[in-house]
Amino acid sequence: MIDQVKHLIASRPRIVMDSYKKESEGGCGVIGLACAKKIAGRHLLAALSQMENRGNGKGGGIAAVGLNPQSLGVSQEILEQDYLLAIAYLDMQCKKELEARYIHPFFDLDHELQLEHLPVERFPIAPPEVVIYFVRPKAEAIADFCREHGLSSLSQFECEEEFVYRNSQNVNRAFYTVIGDKRAFVLSHGKNMLVLKMVGYGHDVITYYQLQNFEAHVWIGHHRYPTKGRVWHPGGAHPFIGLHEALVHNGDFANYYSICEYLSQRHIYPHFLTDTEVAVLLFDLLYRTYRYPLEYVIEALAPTTERDFTLLPQDKQQLFLLLQQAHMHGSPDGPWFFLIAQSLPIARAYCLIGITDTSMLRPQVFALQQGNYPIGLAASEKQAIDATLHSLAAEDAQFWSCADYYWNARGGSHTDGGAFSFSVCQGKLSCEDKFGRALYTSPLNPPNLAVPIRKESDVKYPESLPSKELSQWTITQSKSWDYSQFEAFLNTLCNNNIETKRRCALDVITTLMDSFYPMDYMRRSCIQALLQKSLSQLLENTQFSDLTLINAQGLLPEGPDSLARAIISEYRKGARKMIVFNCHGQRFIGNGLGEATQGVEIHVYGSSGDYLASGMDGAVVHVHGSTQDQVAQIMNNGTLIIHGDVGQTFMYGAKGGEAYVRGNTAGRPLINAVGNPRVVINGTCLDYLAESFMAGNPLQGGGFAIINGLHFDQQGNICDLDTPYSGSNLFSLASGGAIYIRDPRHHIVKGQLNGGEFSSLSEHDWQLILPYLEKNERHFGIPISRLLLHQGTECPFGEIYRKIMPITLKSVQDEEAWVKKNVKAL
Amino acid sequence: MPPTKLNIIKHTENLREGFRSWPSLVHGVMPALGDARWNADLILATWHQAETGKPPDNGLDYQKGRSGGGFDLLHFAFLPESQWLKSSADLTLSLNRRKAGTRIDIPVPFYGAGMSYGSISEHIMLARAMAAQKWGTFTCTGEGGYPDSLVPFRKHVITQIATGLFGVYEKTIQYARLVEFKYAQGAKPGLGGHLLADKATVAVAKIRGAVPWVHLFSPFPFHSVYSVEDHKKHLDWVKIVNPEALLSVKVSTPIDVDMVAVGSYYANANILHIDGSYGGTGAAPEFAKKNIAMPIELALPKVHRSLLAEGIRDEIVIMASGGIRSAYDIAKAIALGADGCVLGTAELVALGCTRCANCERGRGCPFGLTTTDAELTQLVDPEWGAKRLDNLYTSYAWQLRDILRKLGLSSIGQLRGRTDLLRYSVNS
Repeated sequence: MIDQVKHLIASRPRIVMDSYKKESEGGCGVIGLACAKKIAGRHLLAALSQMENRGNGKGGGIAAVGLNPQSLGVSQEILEQDYLLAIAYLDMQCKKELEARYIHPFFDLDHELQLEHLPVERFPIAPPEVVIYFVRPKAEAIADFCREHGLSSLSQFECEEEFVYRNSQNVNRAFYTVIGDKRAFVLSHGKNMLVLKMVGYGHDVITYYQLQNFEAHVWIGHHRYPTKGRVWHPGGAHPFIGLHEALVHNGDFANYYSICEYLSQRHIYPHFLTDTEVAVLLFDLLYRTYRYPLEYVIEALAPTTERDFTLLPQDKQQLFLLLQQAHMHGSPDGPWFFLIAQSLPIARAYCLIGITDTSMLRPQVFALQQGNYPIGLAASEKQAIDATLHSLAAEDAQFWSCADYYWNARGGSHTDGGAFSFSVCQGKLSCEDKFGRALYTSPLNPPNLAVPIRKESDVKYPESLPSKELSQWTITQSKSWDYSQFEAFLNTLCNNNIETKRRCALDVITTLMDSFYPMDYMRRSCIQALLQKSLSQLLENTQFSDLTLINAQGLLPEGPDSLARAIISEYRKGARKMIVFNCHGQRFIGNGLGEATQGVEIHVYGSSGDYLASGMDGAVVHVHGSTQDQVAQIMNNGTLIIHGDVGQTFMYGAKGGEAYVRGNTAGRPLINAVGNPRVVINGTCLDYLAESFMAGNPLQGGGFAIINGLHFDQQGNICDLDTPYSGSNLFSLASGGAIYIRDPRHHIVKGQLNGGEFSSLSEHDWQLILPYLEKNERHFGIPISRLLLHQGTECPFGEIYRKIMPITLKSVQDEEAWVKKNVKAL
Repeated sequence: MPPTKLNIIKHTENLREGFRSWPSLVHGVMPALGDARWNADLILATWHQAETGKPPDNGLDYQKGRSGGGFDLLHFAFLPESQWLKSSADLTLSLNRRKAGTRIDIPVPFYGAGMSYGSISEHIMLARAMAAQKWGTFTCTGEGGYPDSLVPFRKHVITQIATGLFGVYEKTIQYARLVEFKYAQGAKPGLGGHLLADKATVAVAKIRGAVPWVHLFSPFPFHSVYSVEDHKKHLDWVKIVNPEALLSVKVSTPIDVDMVAVGSYYANANILHIDGSYGGTGAAPEFAKKNIAMPIELALPKVHRSLLAEGIRDEIVIMASGGIRSAYDIAKAIALGADGCVLGTAELVALGCTRCANCERGRGCPFGLTTTDAELTQLVDPEWGAKRLDNLYTSYAWQLRDILRKLGLSSIGQLRGRTDLLRYSVNS
């Protein structure tokens, strides 16, 4: 086989490149989904519009895989067997020439179709005319090709693929140059897949080509943010293609040139001069030419390093070492996150693959909803996933607005590789990690799918109970309820004109949203969806005398007309207790209130955006759900309670305040935090915990974080995570603060403490953290007795918690004490 | 009087006498003063200007150094004297060239660079702030926040947000009319910030909320910003907190600085501050200075032309720093494409710095500049320091007007990008 590969590579033409000068580009917004049911393009619109601020309108694109044959005017057989050659014509004059040179001589054409579109005038740079050719390579053309290039050892299918691939390169070289003539280029050529792109935003592509009703099993969408060049061109937009793959990318390679050199040694040359194109060329090389399994491809791209590598089984270490050695120069360096839509024609499967870089430098969230038509999603922001689910749920009773699982990937992880694939095959969707292990296979209660609602009178509830007791009553009762009972209860609860009753409804819904409890017939995500809907309906139609309600619907994510400015404006008018609801990705919530905001209380509902509660200085902010990135940056004072997970760089540069997180934090929480922040994280942190933490000595007023290493299962049970902290790099460059980590099984080892060391835990420490654990118990219902439980027995705190301090801090304690005593003048 | 106080008085008097007498050359030129870029003539000439408000007329070269490259080999092609303008040129620089937003004009095309409390003493910060207030220009907090004494000057202080976010609070973002994001420093790009343990005194650590007497690190990137859309989000954040503030983005000069410039423009920055490789105090590592970033004289035309090609040059202000030593350097930087310059080391030299490069130790600076020591700090009285900076600015402003009139230009804006007015020659 090695000879075959060598031969294949050697047969590819050599090109002398003038330069690999990269088009400059930076950030992007990406979303992808894979569903057992074909999904219409309109369901990506909300997600892409809400992430418009991740692009600049200079490039947008989509890829769709596993298409609907009717919408393309072909039979299922043609769709599956033919190559779908999509050509973007910037100059229709060249169509005949292109066809005469590159299509008719080599392919039998089964069907041709020109995509309809809106009037061109709407866009400053005219999007290309797109012509789709369903083609089969002619047997004699393939035979000639094989003979000419000595590829007889390849199978017929492999020869065809290589031929199609090279033919498209020839088209691009003949009709499109980045610096020069741009007449036409190949958008995609894989089977059962279509790529479209233009100068605009990702959602513009869907509206311009009228893909609102165009259906596919797998979609990826992308906004681009190129930062140089006055004239942008559609060829530079994502996705870029391999053979049966399309790839979108958020990030930037530092070693673009080196990868170009690596590829050129294998006779592969970028044509559109962006690192995304290079990424997909790499993928194609590894996957199709080298025929690596997906696991190997991912390892070559995002190698397992440091401690994670040492935790791999021996045989895997040997294998990965070889892969790393072989592909070191072709491994992208720098922040990146790839989403790949892939068609597997032989298996008739369609995949969405998300791969994260080993340093986790780009934001990414994955999600899975397991209904009758399971759907897997991945995006730059959780809010984009929620927007897609909302859009689906609004039209189709098979979906609801919350996923069953949301998670962040830890790139290069030894447990799951930080890369996940959703594959649709024969109407089923499976979710696998890098190592091919099926994930989320435990059975869940049935979803809430189109069950007729019982009459409201069916559910009687003790109306006289105060909200706290009523919440508890509901939690107990709902164990045996079905969805219709639950919905009927919510309808009765909310359908009341008396303010106190509506206030009670708000409190009960909030408690139910924030709590985990056992249910025999219902599923948590479905209940969350019902609660969110009821809450919106309740708040959209009411006023409270002591609460300011701010409906986020229609408010922008940033700028003068943003939700954040609306909150500031209400605060300046005197509002102190605010309910912010229907959030859909708005950023900077609670920012800009200024110093000393004690007495302010903000409750946030919906999908909040980045920078939530940044700079807060005294207020209390409750987030009834998960948050995203840069939460509580430079927080100084106040209390932040998050009933969910947190994204990247939580409390970056924080100076103080208290924060309680029910779930997990992604990478780099507490980085560069100083002063005295006190934080309880009940889940875990993915990596780089407390990098450059400088928060003094906690026993003398400094800051600390408590990591409890817990999670709630679907039945509301509190369970221990496999390990309370799976990353390394704890306390890199740190000089202050402490981590109290709940680790009775002593899973944390010295190798994870890059700059930290285990320190003795005294009664003084326990007295310090106990009040925070008590508050944590009040916020999340996680009893201290449960925290102290190990193997069924309640243990002394010293056997449960371990204290980690920065090495530097210990070394300066004596000096600091001396200074305090002797140098009063300072 | 306690002996400490006497000591301070004695040293202060001796130092001031030295700053006065050495530039007069009565003792000749000190044999071991300065280096090729900041040579003895330039240091003494700066002292002279800080003392008198005028450039020296005793033969000291106040225009350039002897580095054998860069600005030192660029010269203005002045018009014949008969064509010199009579009228006084306008030096006003508008810091917001966009259509929207607050208008801030400064009467001279320069302001003070970010030097943190910790890297320099509180008295030096105050002296700089007083001078900035008098001249209607700015100085900058650097990455260490506001000592209380600086707060009254906040209309003339730029709040810097750097990668460690030290001393950054919503209130300090709201203090400022101009907020600067420091992504990198030209003297040590990619290395982050370091305040060595010696200088992290109790007072310095208190303002930063950190532990005293340990090294304080700022990361090399903003960990919340790994791409241009993160950068835009970062700027959007400050616009929420302080919508009136103008935004400056300070970057060093990597090979793709032009791309960074365009990205910053689209992220709504008002000012792009590019920091070349010649700056930095003695606390910046020697291996980094001059060896990593691109020299400012190469970066400026690259950025200027790139923004022109994008058609956005007139909507963003370029401030240059990293080795601006004299009024002539300011003019040359502007002719190469900047709108104005940012002064760091030049101000320290005006206050007595000899470039001995002992800045990283808390008690290392013999002139009480880059110190956190309570006694050494007393060597510079803020009022005295402000007066010296006032004099330096006066001299710079006079020289800039002189240069402009000899080039036949009536405003500093007309000089921007006029590389045709420069000559490169080894022999001046």
